[in-house]
Amino acid sequence: MFGLIGHLTSLEHAQSVAEALGYPEYANQGLEFWCMAPPQIVDSITVTSITGQKIYGKYVESCFLPEMLATQRIKTATRKILNAMAHAQKHGIDITALGGFSSIIFENFNLHTITQIHNIKLELQRFTTGNTHTAYIICRQVEQASAQIGIDLSKATVAVCGATGDIGSAVCRWLNSRLDVAELLLVARNQERLQELQAELGRGKILSLEAALPLADIVVWVASMPRGVEIDPTHLRTPCLMIDGGYPKNLATQIQHPGVHVLNGGIVEHSLDIDWRIMEIVNMSIPSRQLFACFAESMLLEFEQWYTNFSWGRNQISVEKMEKIGQISVKHGFQPLLFQ
Amino acid sequence: MPQVQSPSAIDFYSETYQDAYSRIDAIVIEGEQEAHDNYLQLTELLPDCQEDLVRLAKMEARHKKGFEACGRNLKVIPDMEFARQFFAGLHNNFQQAAAANKIATCLVIQSLIIECFAIAAYNIYIPVADDFARKITENVVKDEYTHLNFGEEWLKANFESQREEVEAANRENLPIVWRMLNQVEADARVLGMEKEALVESFMIQYGEALENIGFSTREIMRMSVYGLSAA
Repeated sequence: MFGLIGHLTSLEHAQSVAEALGYPEYANQGLEFWCMAPPQIVDSITVTSITGQKIYGKYVESCFLPEMLATQRIKTATRKILNAMAHAQKHGIDITALGGFSSIIFENFNLHTITQIHNIKLELQRFTTGNTHTAYIICRQVEQASAQIGIDLSKATVAVCGATGDIGSAVCRWLNSRLDVAELLLVARNQERLQELQAELGRGKILSLEAALPLADIVVWVASMPRGVEIDPTHLRTPCLMIDGGYPKNLATQIQHPGVHVLNGGIVEHSLDIDWRIMEIVNMSIPSRQLFACFAESMLLEFEQWYTNFSWGRNQISVEKMEKIGQISVKHGFQPLLFQ
Repeated sequence: MPQVQSPSAIDFYSETYQDAYSRIDAIVIEGEQEAHDNYLQLTELLPDCQEDLVRLAKMEARHKKGFEACGRNLKVIPDMEFARQFFAGLHNNFQQAAAANKIATCLVIQSLIIECFAIAAYNIYIPVADDFARKITENVVKDEYTHLNFGEEWLKANFESQREEVEAANRENLPIVWRMLNQVEADARVLGMEKEALVESFMIQYGEALENIGFSTREIMRMSVYGLSAA
C-alpha cells in the first residue's frame, strides 16, 4: 500500500475544504485549533496502471498549514510532519511520499535525528520525498513545453531559480548532461552552494534573480520556501517559458502577459482516471488525472514494489536515478503536464 | 518529539518549577490512585475479568509509588487537595456510571480518556523530565498502553450494542478533560510541556482507540474534538 502525506495551502483553504468534505468541527476553527489537530487518513485511493496492475493507497492529512512557518511555530510544524509520518507507518503503509512543504520541513529542520515518535520507531525507508520524479518531470516539461511554444533549446538560455536545492540541483544535472541547452543560469541565495554546483556541473553562470530573468528564454522556478518576489513580466523575453515548480503554485496568477507562458511544474497526468477525492481540493484542472509528481513517485514505487526511500537526503539525486524513475513513470502511464 | 525546552535549560530546583511540580506531580499521583480504585471497582461490574482488572489495579498502585518518589527526589510536597478537586468531575461521573451499571461509560472514562491522557502527557513529559522521573515515566507509559488495550478490547467486542453509550460518555466527559487541561496549562508550560502538543498527542491516542473500537474516521474527527473549541 502507498501513502501520500499532504497539507492545505492556507488556513482559509483548510476551512473551506473541511466545510466541503463535511467536517464542520474543523471548518469553523482558527490557526490555534489546526496547531492541535491530529493527522487523519481522509481518502482511500485506487490507481490502475496502463499495464492493468491495480494498487491501493491512503491520503494522510497532516493538518500542517504554511501559516505555522510564517508565524515561526517551528516546533508545531515539525511535530505535524513527524506525527503524520508515524500515523502512516502505524497504518501499515509501505511507501509514503512527503508532499508540499512536508519534505522541505523534514530536510530543513534535520528531522532525521528524531526517529522515536512516542511508541513508534520511524522506519525512514518507508518514506520518500518524491523529488527524483518531480525533477524528472520538470526536465521533461522543459524539453516538451519549449517545443510547444517554439523555443529551440539548443539556442536557449535556461535560468534555474532555487538551483542549489534538492530538485533544483537535479534539474541542473539533467539539463547539463541530457539536453542540449545553450546556456544555464544558476540562481539561489547561498553563494557557497552555488559555487559548488557550478564546479560539479563544470558550467553555468551564477547570477542574481534580477539579472537572470531578462536573459532567460526558460525559467525553472523551484525555490523551496515562500518568498514575496514580484516579477515584472515586461522585463522577460518573449516568448518565455516559466515552469512553476514551487509550492504553492502562484506564478500563473501573478504573471499574465502576452508571450510569457506559465506552466505548472512537477505535475503529471495519468492516462487513466484515479479513484480519489483529494485532488479536487488542490485545484488541479483535471482532478481525476492530474497530481503532483512527488505523490506519483510513491505510486510508482508501489507498482514496482520498490519499498525503499528512493528520494532521500539533500542533493543526492543523480541523472541515473531520474532515468530509472522516468522509465517506470512512462511504463505505468504517467505523462508530464503540458500546454493544452 | 521536539520540545519547547530541552531538559538542560530547565532548573528542576527553581522555586517556579517546584511550585508547578507540586500540582502536576499531585495530579499524576491522584490519577494513578483513581485508576487503581476504578479498576478494582470494575471487578464488580465485570466479574469475568477480575484477574485482569486486579492485575491492572496493582500496576497503577505501583505507578503511584513511582511518582511519589519523583516528588521526593525533587523535594517537592505534592498538593493532593488540589489534585482531588482536579479529578472530581471525572471521579463523580465514574461513580454515577458504576452505580448505574454502565460498563461502557466506566471504560470510556477510565480506560480510554484517562489512559489516553496519561499516555499523551507522559510521552510529552519524558523528553523534558529530570533523569530520575524520566526513567520511571518511561516504564509507566509502557504499562499504560496495555491498560488502554483492555478497554478497547471490551468496547470493540461490544461495539454495536454499546456505540450510543460510548458516544454519550464521550460528550459528557471530553469537555471536562479540556477544562482540566486549561486549569494546568501554565504549570505544564513551566515543566516544558506545551498545551497544543498535549492536546494533539491526546487526540492521536484517543482517535486510535476509537478507530480500534470500530468508529469511522468521520466519527472520530467529530468525537475527538467534542467541546474543545468551547473550552
